[in-house]
Amino acid sequence: MATGKVVVEKIRGRSTATSCFSKYPLKFILPTKVAPVGTDVVWIYSITYGGGIVSGDSISCEFTIGDGCTAVLTTQSSTKVYKAIGSKCSEQTLEVMFLSHVCYNHLSCARIGSESLLVVVPDPVTCFSTARYYQKQNFRLLSDSNLVLVDWITSGRHANGEKWDFEFYKSINNVYLEDDKPLFLDTVLLEKRNIQSIAERMQDYHAIAMVILFGPKLRELQKQVQENVKNMMSEQLQISYSSRRHNPDSRVRNGFMKPEFIASCSTFGPEGKGVVVRIASDSTESVYNFLRQQLGDLEPLLGQSPYA
Amino acid sequence: MAKPIGEDAISESVASRSSSCSQWSQWQLLDSILPTGGFAHSFGLEAAVQTRLVSSPTDLETHIIHVLDNTASLLLPFVYSSLKSPDIETWQRLDLLLDATLTNQVSSKASISQGSALFRIAASVFTEIPSLKTIRDASLGSSKELRFHHAPIFGLVCGLLGMDPEASQRAYLFVTLRDVVSAATRLNLVGPMGASVMQHRIAVVAETVLEKWKDRDAGEACQTSPLLDVVQGCHGYLFSRLFCS
Repeated sequence: MATGKVVVEKIRGRSTATSCFSKYPLKFILPTKVAPVGTDVVWIYSITYGGGIVSGDSISCEFTIGDGCTAVLTTQSSTKVYKAIGSKCSEQTLEVMFLSHVCYNHLSCARIGSESLLVVVPDPVTCFSTARYYQKQNFRLLSDSNLVLVDWITSGRHANGEKWDFEFYKSINNVYLEDDKPLFLDTVLLEKRNIQSIAERMQDYHAIAMVILFGPKLRELQKQVQENVKNMMSEQLQISYSSRRHNPDSRVRNGFMKPEFIASCSTFGPEGKGVVVRIASDSTESVYNFLRQQLGDLEPLLGQSPYA
Repeated sequence: MAKPIGEDAISESVASRSSSCSQWSQWQLLDSILPTGGFAHSFGLEAAVQTRLVSSPTDLETHIIHVLDNTASLLLPFVYSSLKSPDIETWQRLDLLLDATLTNQVSSKASISQGSALFRIAASVFTEIPSLKTIRDASLGSSKELRFHHAPIFGLVCGLLGMDPEASQRAYLFVTLRDVVSAATRLNLVGPMGASVMQHRIAVVAETVLEKWKDRDAGEACQTSPLLDVVQGCHGYLFSRLFCS
C-alpha cells in the first residue's frame, strides 16, 4: 500500500488537491500561502519524520495530476539517509501519472491530452556513511504534459569528513509517454567498491545534479537554460584553452584548477522536445544558486521561484 | 562396442574448421581497419582534457578505466540482450530503449553514427548471413523512429555470427578500449608505445569490469560515473576540437 498519495484536479477551474493521504514515515504538507492569490498551483511539501530516512524505511508515493493543473513537489530540507543496519536498504518510489480525464466532469474524457505542469524540486539526497538508498520515480506523461524534474545528491557530511562514503545509492528516473513509450530512462548507481571508489569517480566534486525540462509550456525556459549553460561553459573552456596554449609546460598547466562547476545540456525525445541538464559542482551552494537562477522564470506559473 | 573413431574425428574437424572460419570474421569485426568511424570519437576524453579532469598519465589511465566501467554498466546489457535474440523485433525494441537511455546528446550521436556504419558494413561484408541485410533494409524503411545505435547492432552482428556471448561482450569492451587509447595518442597524451603498454595493463582491469557487468538484461542498464556524462556533454562547448565526441 502506498505511503503517500496525492491527486490534483481542476475544481471550478482551479488546481486543487482532491485527495491527500500519507502515513508514517511520510507526511505531506500543502500550504496555501506559498503562491500569491490567483496563481493556479498546488504546492506539496514532502516531509519525513525525523528529517531523514532510516535503514529499512520504504516510502512509496503516487501522484496524479489532472488536466491543465499545476503542482509543485518539494521537500523541506535535504533528504538525509542514515546509516544502514546490516544490509537493509532504504527505498523511495514515486509514481506520477498525468491523466487527461481525472475529473468529475466526464465530458473531459473526450479531450486529447492535457496541459498540466508538474515541478519536482526537492532538496538533495545526502547519504551518510554506510547508508544504502534506492529511489525509483516513474512519470507517465501525455505529449503535451509539462515536467520539471530535479534529482540530485551530495557527497555526505563534509564536516564529519564523509565524502562519497556511503555503501549504495541507486536513483531511477523513468519518463514515459502514451502507450508506455519510453521517453527518458536514467539510472545512476553509486556503489562502494574496493577499486575505483565512488570518491575517485567523482574526483573533487561534491554534488551531482540532473534537471529535466519537458513540455510545450517550457520551451522558452529550455532555450534560455541551454543558452545560459552554453555561454557559461564556453567562457570557461575558452579561458582554459588559451591558458593551455600559452603554457604548454605541464607544471604550469597543473597549476590551473578544475572548474568548480561543470554543466552540460542535451536535448532528448521526439523532435528534441526535452532538455536535460547535468551538473557537477564542488559545493551544494553553487547548485542551489544555479537552480534558483535557471528556474526563476517559473515564478509566474508557480507563484514562487523554486529554491528561493 | 567402441564408437567409430572416424565420426568423431570428422565432426571435430568440421567444428574446428567452422571455428577457424568464424575467427576470420571475428578478427575482422574487431580490427580497427573496419570503417565504422570509431576513430572520430574520444569518449569524452577530449572534453575531460580541456576541463582539466585529465592532466597526467595517471589521470588518463583512471579516466579510461572509468569509461570502460560506465560503458559496461550502461551498454553491455544492450549488447547482451541483442545477441541473445538476434532478431528484428528484439533489435528494434532495444534500439528505441537505448535511445531513451542515452540522453547525452554527444554520446548518442556518436553511438548512432558508429551503429549505422557498422550495420551497413556488416550487411555488405557478411553476405553468408542474409538476415543482416533483410533486418537492415526493413528497418531503414520503417515508420518507427529507429536510430541505429551501436551497442544493440554490435550484439546483433555477434549473435548472428554465432559468437560466444562472453567473447562478444569482451569484444565490445575491447573496441571501446581500443578507440579511447587511440584517441589518447592523437590528443598527444601518450605516445604509441606508451599507449600499447597502457592498453595491455588496463586489459587486466577490463576483464574484471566484464565479469561484473556481463550477462545482464538491457533493463538493468545504469550509469556508474555520472561525472563522465556531465563532462562528455560539454564536448559541444569546446573552443577547438579534434574529435566529434
